[in-house]
Amino acid sequence: MNSKTNILYKTTENKTITWFESSNKYLILEHTTADILKSLNKGISVNKIAEDLSKKLSVPVDATIDFIKNLEKKIYGAKEKNETEEIIDYKDIKVPKSFKFIKYYKVNNVVFKISYLSEKELSLVHPKFAHLVNEEVVNFDFEFDVFINNDVIFLFVDKKQIGSWNNKNIHYFQGKFSMEFIQKIHQKDENEWMGVFHASAVSNEKKSILFLGDSGNGKSTSLALLQAHGFTCLADDFVPIDIEKREVYSFPACISIKKSSLETLLPIYPELETTAEYNFTRLNKIVRYLKPNNNNYFSHLPCNDLVFIKYVKDSDLSCKKIAKIDAFQQLIPDSWLSPKKENAQIFLDWFASLNCYQLTYSKNEEMLKTVSKIFDNDL
Amino acid sequence: MKNKIDKNQEEITRKDAIKKIGNYGKYAALTALGTYLVLSPQKAQAASPETPGTGF
Repeated sequence: MNSKTNILYKTTENKTITWFESSNKYLILEHTTADILKSLNKGISVNKIAEDLSKKLSVPVDATIDFIKNLEKKIYGAKEKNETEEIIDYKDIKVPKSFKFIKYYKVNNVVFKISYLSEKELSLVHPKFAHLVNEEVVNFDFEFDVFINNDVIFLFVDKKQIGSWNNKNIHYFQGKFSMEFIQKIHQKDENEWMGVFHASAVSNEKKSILFLGDSGNGKSTSLALLQAHGFTCLADDFVPIDIEKREVYSFPACISIKKSSLETLLPIYPELETTAEYNFTRLNKIVRYLKPNNNNYFSHLPCNDLVFIKYVKDSDLSCKKIAKIDAFQQLIPDSWLSPKKENAQIFLDWFASLNCYQLTYSKNEEMLKTVSKIFDNDL
Repeated sequence: MKNKIDKNQEEITRKDAIKKIGNYGKYAALTALGTYLVLSPQKAQAASPETPGTGF
């Protein structure tokens, strides 16, 4: 449920984006509607607001009173749907004494010791980070333990329990794992991040561009093509942006390449021919992992451009600026955004400063040229 | 016969017609103000489904 305290307003094009701290939700309102909410929150009476609105729209005051009361009820009275959530107390869970797999991953000079109870736990994490394995290290900086106990997966960092997830929420376990990973690499707590975006981030060493779009639209394939043509892969699938600098930070995981992209990418990356294939039967997807070309996993760069990318067979190239409100609608449901008020304000200000594009392509060379132009502000 | 039917229909002037539509237009403005979109970000950081693993 939304509450009347701690609301942020940001005017964007012909709408007002309104954020509620109590629910961490964003509403896209008409300016006038946002003004009505502001007046209600200031304690101005419904009758007074209704009179003003009645004059403004030349409708009878009875209608505007009804309207405002309904609006208030809809926005502040709506109850959240109760999602069934299993709450079990796992405080007393004991970390297993021995783990079947222990891997050391080196990210620049930071070493992680990650212990997996069995092959199952290993398969949930390791493939995306296998390129970071270092067999020679003896000392480590951080220790992660991953184990399944009674169909629940646990994550411990430096012997402290971070969380537990059932088998329907593996993607949240993996998200939390990645979050803990970047917190250690970049030495920032969760509150120091603005958000994590479901995107691919590419850089020209001076700045970065985020590629967004539904699964299967070619984000990762474009990223792989771009990193073969002089650009750097900053992050794939999990793109963190911080509060202090508002910059995209490197995330060292591999790029996941779907079977359907192999034909395009094999001539450039012959190593994909022999890399392990992971078959996700539930998703009907076969994926291989490609090492990112980034050689400094501490890097972070500003981002001024969001590109919603779409590969459409035989289509002509089209790249146009899109309305920010449209981009916002696509961006939010797929992102984790900090629920802190100061951070939400920074996110809204950052978003307002961006350029948003829709890029549709079928020929890789045309896509590469267009992306170069966006980097050079030459579109 | 045709004339008879015409005479039975309610006749309104152009001015009245605009006035009538105008009123509906105003209520439409109210409907537009009450139409909004709610966007919820992810509740926690998440990996996309094609990251390794399919359940346990």
